[in-house]
Parts: sequence; structure tokens; C-alpha cells
Amino acid sequence: MSVLSADATPPLLQPLPVRPTLLQRLQRITRSYLFRVLFSGLITILAVTTFTFFLIRQMPGSPVEIKIDEMMTRRGMTYEEAYRAAATVFNFDPDRPVILQYIDFWGDLLRGDLGNSITQGGTSVSSIILRYLPWTLFCVGLSLLISFSLGILIGLAMGYWRGSWFDNLMTAIASILSGLPDYIIGLLIIVIFGVQLRWFDIGSVRGGVDPNITPAFSLEYIGSIISYATMPVLIYVLSSVGTWILSMKSSTVSMLGEDYIAVAKARGLSERRILTGYVGRNAMLPLIARLAISVGLVVSGTVIIEEMFQYPGLGRNLYIAISGRDYTTMQGIFLVITIAVVFSNIFADFMIGWLDPRVRIEGGNES
Amino acid sequence: MIGLETVATPIGLVIGIVCGLVPLIAGIHYQQLRAGIVGFIACAISGFGCGVIGGLPMVVLTYAVVLSYAYVNRQDPFTSRAALVDVNFEETRSERLQRRLANVGNSVRAAIRALTRNRAGFVGFLGIAFFILVTTFGPLFIRYEGETHMERRAPGSRVLVAAPSAEHPLGLDWKGRDVLSHMVHGGQRLIITSIQAGLIATLIAVVFGSTAGLLGGVFDQVLSTLANFILTIPGFPFLIVLAAVVDFDSYFLLAVLFGVLNWPTLMRAVRAQVLSLRERDYVQAAVVLDLGLWHIITREVFPNMVSYIMINLIITIRIAMYSIVALTFLGLVPLEEPDWAVMIFTGRQQGVLFLPQASGMLLSPIIAIALFQLSLVLFARSLEEIFNPRLRTGL
Repeated sequence: MSVLSADATPPLLQPLPVRPTLLQRLQRITRSYLFRVLFSGLITILAVTTFTFFLIRQMPGSPVEIKIDEMMTRRGMTYEEAYRAAATVFNFDPDRPVILQYIDFWGDLLRGDLGNSITQGGTSVSSIILRYLPWTLFCVGLSLLISFSLGILIGLAMGYWRGSWFDNLMTAIASILSGLPDYIIGLLIIVIFGVQLRWFDIGSVRGGVDPNITPAFSLEYIGSIISYATMPVLIYVLSSVGTWILSMKSSTVSMLGEDYIAVAKARGLSERRILTGYVGRNAMLPLIARLAISVGLVVSGTVIIEEMFQYPGLGRNLYIAISGRDYTTMQGIFLVITIAVVFSNIFADFMIGWLDPRVRIEGGNES
Repeated sequence: MIGLETVATPIGLVIGIVCGLVPLIAGIHYQQLRAGIVGFIACAISGFGCGVIGGLPMVVLTYAVVLSYAYVNRQDPFTSRAALVDVNFEETRSERLQRRLANVGNSVRAAIRALTRNRAGFVGFLGIAFFILVTTFGPLFIRYEGETHMERRAPGSRVLVAAPSAEHPLGLDWKGRDVLSHMVHGGQRLIITSIQAGLIATLIAVVFGSTAGLLGGVFDQVLSTLANFILTIPGFPFLIVLAAVVDFDSYFLLAVLFGVLNWPTLMRAVRAQVLSLRERDYVQAAVVLDLGLWHIITREVFPNMVSYIMINLIITIRIAMYSIVALTFLGLVPLEEPDWAVMIFTGRQQGVLFLPQASGMLLSPIIAIALFQLSLVLFARSLEEIFNPRLRTGL
């Protein structure tokens, strides 16, 4: 960058920088890391959305065909009558070429409209997503928070006092838990504790909230939401805490060999200070990045558990949309999931750079 | 072709015994009878279980082990009792083959020792072996019950499903069929499909990862972009959609589908490893010495990655089984009995999930799948030691 010539400015004042031209500014923006990451993220979202758009329309059996079949058999309509009736019911023209549907889709999407659900006539996809997303966010977000905190604390203690009975016991438990699929844990809990031992009423854990309580900001309603979420949360925590514990332990153990820990010990710092301020903080870093990535998977990784407990979340709704061939709803939910994944990855990238200066420098060189 | 169709048949047993004769005779010849007998048993079991596909590799391995006990390297002044002047440093072809086989045998012995040293890993290995043996040889002893048994309905009961009894150790299912027979017959396809899926995903990952890492440039960019793209696609929901799009006529297709969706994580790791290994001193030394690409890949790069790849293979098999059971649980793949996952699905479908006496029918497949997954995880932990090249050369 050039500076103004010296004779134009008094010697005491700093030379004024030349204002960059618009082109230079644009270049600086396009060359920045943030811009490139966001740009490639957008491209990914675009590509995944396009891919899923065409793929889900390849699924055998369209919602209209299913409805036509039903009307022909039940009401004795001819095919043409049933066809026209179905087309009006669904507000969806199956004869329109897919490529035009695709253009329509983007046109609507750019106006912020995800279209209407095909099977639930008149309901907009955005309202479906807005209705079910909070349930999933609450349930999975809570369990992610619980299992992450538990994993950090237990793993740190295990790594710091490695070889103790606590370490051995927890390693065994964590290995077993990390080896069990979530739905297997769910089924085991239902069959053993629900059916055999009758510790809880199986009927009462299906759904998101007691249908007899009117929705209000009351203690009763919130209590019901929490009690219905207990079982899914318990299962998520059990199935994910093992991995957190084990990675926190290995991260802690690798941290203990570092010089600054030895220096901290030599300085006579209290054990608690070393554990929290020196070991724990640094050992947590790689796990925080993974936490940010898992946040993106919150929406998608819940299909089976939600279906199992009839929990009114987005995962179960996606499953229903897929089985009912509800293209627009499917498309909308896939879009939400993809955006969540892409942005949580970007967020994880930046968070780790913000927390850990070493990565920031290396990342700068690399990119 | 005497392939997998001879599994658990008399022909398979004959193949196994014929294969087993090789290490047995070698054992007698080298006066290593114990190793020979163990080799005979190993060959017989694997021949019985996998026909020629299992028998022939086992012949090579067991023969190598027997040989490694008896082998004396004449070129090595420390192990050879000959005086240094008598050592002939020229090696004939058969001598070189023997030396290589003995090395393989030593590796196998080191691997077995490493396997038994790690207690958790050994438990995992035994668990996997148990399930494979039961699902392969169990059908020889227990007949499959496919038809409904109305006459087994307990007096006063509305349903056929029954709790475990002396006659039926795991109880009866919703059609009154013996659960034990379904357990024994219903695991093989699930396990084989999972292993196939894991192998396909790992193969794609290794090929793509090493291509991207070694060749770089456009290959690297294209493959990495593809990997990132697939990583962004929501995996399991997408598998549900694909399962509907693809018209399954074989479970192998399901394995392929899984493999195509699940290679990117390992591929990125392999690529990173290849990139870092390329810069190591010993690889650079091999390049300078002009030892050839094949030597560099097989001797310098691959041994450093094999433990990582094997661990990932096991983990991928685990995830494959998870996905296949999940798809079945949701009823999204063609349901064919007998199958562990189908047992869970029908249990839920028929509403027997909440009947106390149905626990035998439900818990059996649930616990079997849980234990198999657990065994895989435990086994994966010990693979690190088994495939560590330093442990092998240390012998």
C-alpha cells in the first residue's frame, strides 16, 4: 500500500493512508478467510439441496398416487376423476416437469417460502418446522449439554488420577456405553425397567407432553414437558457420554506430559488450580470443537429415538414425511439439517481459532 | 466353485481337514507337534466355516507359524550355529520363500500374543468369534422353525408369545416359534452384510485417501470436495431416502449403499496421514534410495497406517450394523425372516413389546446385537497393539 508523499503533510502528523478503492475492498473481502468459508458453505448447501431435491422425487410412489389408489378403491371413482380430485387436494401437479418444480422451489425459497406440505393440505412447511424444531432442540440440546459436562468432569478426573480404581471402573463403564447403539439402550430400558420391573409406566413416556394439560406458561405444563423428555434425554446421555468421557480422558493424559504442567507443579500451585486452570482448560479444547460439530447433528440424529417414544420432534416428522412421500416437508427439513451442519462446522472452526491461538496461526499459514 | 456354499456342510469339513493336513504334516516333520495340531484345528474350523475361502489362507498362516518355530536363519550369525565362515550369504529362491514365510509366522505369533495380552481386546475377540461360530455352525444343530405353532398356545393365554421355558430356552415368539432357532439362524446375514458394508466403505476410503494424498493436485481437490459434500449430507435420514429409492433385491446392495455414504471420514484421515508420512525422513530416504513406488507404499507407508485402518474398519462395521438394524427397526428394508433386527421390528409391530412374557423374544436379539457391538468396540481397542509394526519387528 502506498503512502502520501512527505511534503504534503506536516512531519508531526502520521501520513494518512490512501482510502482503498471499491475494487480493493471487494478483493480484501473475497480473500478473507471468513468470506471463503461462508461462500463454500453456501455452495455446499446449494449442492446438497439440489441433490436431495431430485433424489427424493425418485422415491417410488408419490403422495398423489397413494391418494388416487385410495380414492379409486374406497369411493369407486374412475382414474381421471380420482386424479383430478387428488391434484386439487394436494395443490400439487405431478405432471409438471421436475426441472420446473425445481425452479419454482428456488423462486419460493428466495422469498423465504418453503411451500406447503403436500400431505397436510394448507399447512406451510415453515410452520411445521417451527412447530417441531423446538422440541428436538430442547430434548437433544439438553442431553448434549448434560453428557458433555458429565464427560468433561469424569474424563478429567480419570485422566488426572489415571490407574486408580475410579479410572478403571469408569473406563469399563464408558467403553460399554460407547459401544451400545442408542435405540438398543432405549429398548433395553423399556423392556427391562418398564415391562419387567415396572419402574415406570410405559404409556406415560410416549409423546412430548401430557395432552390433558392445556398449553400455558405454568409450572404444571413445564413439569410435564420435562417429565416426558426424561426418557429420550436419559437415552441420549447414556449413549453419548461414554465417547465424551474416553476422549476427555485421553486428551487429559496427553496434556499431563506438557512442560507447563510440570512448571505449574514446581511452582507449588494447588492441585485444584492445576486441574482446572492448566490441565482441564487445555484438554477441553479439542472437545469443544467436536461439541460445536455435534450441535449441527442435533437435528438429524434423532429419528429413531423420537419415533420410538413418539416424541413430537423434527426427526420423527422427517420420518413421517419420508414414509408419506411429502416432498416439500422432506425438502424443508433436509434444508434445515444441512444449514445446521454447515454452520456448526464453520462455527467450530472459528471457535477453536478463537480459543486456541496456536491453531489460529497454523490455520493462517495453511489457508 | 467350492466357495461359500460349502459353509457348514460335510464338503466344507472335508476341505477343512484336507487343508489341516498341511500344517499337521509340517508339524510332524519339524517336530513341532503342538503347533501342528493347533494349525490342524484352525484349518478344519475355517474350512468348515468358509470353505476354500477360509481354508486356503489359513493353510498359509498355520504353515507359516509352524515353520517359524523351526526356522533357523542361516544368514544370521546370532541364530545360526554355523561358524561365520560357513555362512552362505547367497539365498536360493526356496530359502527366500522360507524366510518370508517364517517372518509371516512370527508376525502371526506376535499378533496372537498381543491379542491375548490385552484383556479387554481378547474378550471382544472371543465375543466376535462366539457370534460368528454360533451363526455359522448353530444351524447344523438347531432346526429353523418358520411356521406358526398354534398348538403351543398356553391355556388361558390370548397370545402365542411365551416366556423362556425348559423346552424353549429363549421362549416363543409371536407365532409360537422357538426364539432360539431364530437367534441361531437370524444373525448370519446381518453380520455378513455389516462386514461387507464396512469393507466397502474402508476400501473406498483407502483408495481415495491415498490417491488424494499421493497424487495431490486436481485429484486431491475433487476427492476432498466430494468427501466434504457427502459429510454434509445428513447421513441417516439420507439412508432412509436412498433405501426407498433403491429397489433392494439383495442385501449386498444395502452394503454398497452404506459404503458409498460412509467413506469420507476415514478418507480424510488417510489423506492426512499419507501427506504427513510423505514428509517423514525414512520415506524421503527410501525415495532418495530409489526403492520404487511399490516398495515405498507397501513397506514404508502402509505398515504405519494399517492399525488405524483396521480400527476404522471395525468401527465402520459397527456403524453399518447400527444403520441396518435401525432401517429394519423402522421397517424400511424388505423384511425377511429369520433376522435379529426383524425380530425386534415384528415385536414392536405386533404390539408384544409391552407384554412381560415377550421379553425372551425381544431381549434375545437386543442383547445379541448389543453384545456384538460391544465386542467390536473392545476388539478395536486391541488392534492398535496387534498391528503396531514395532511390536512385530521386535521379535
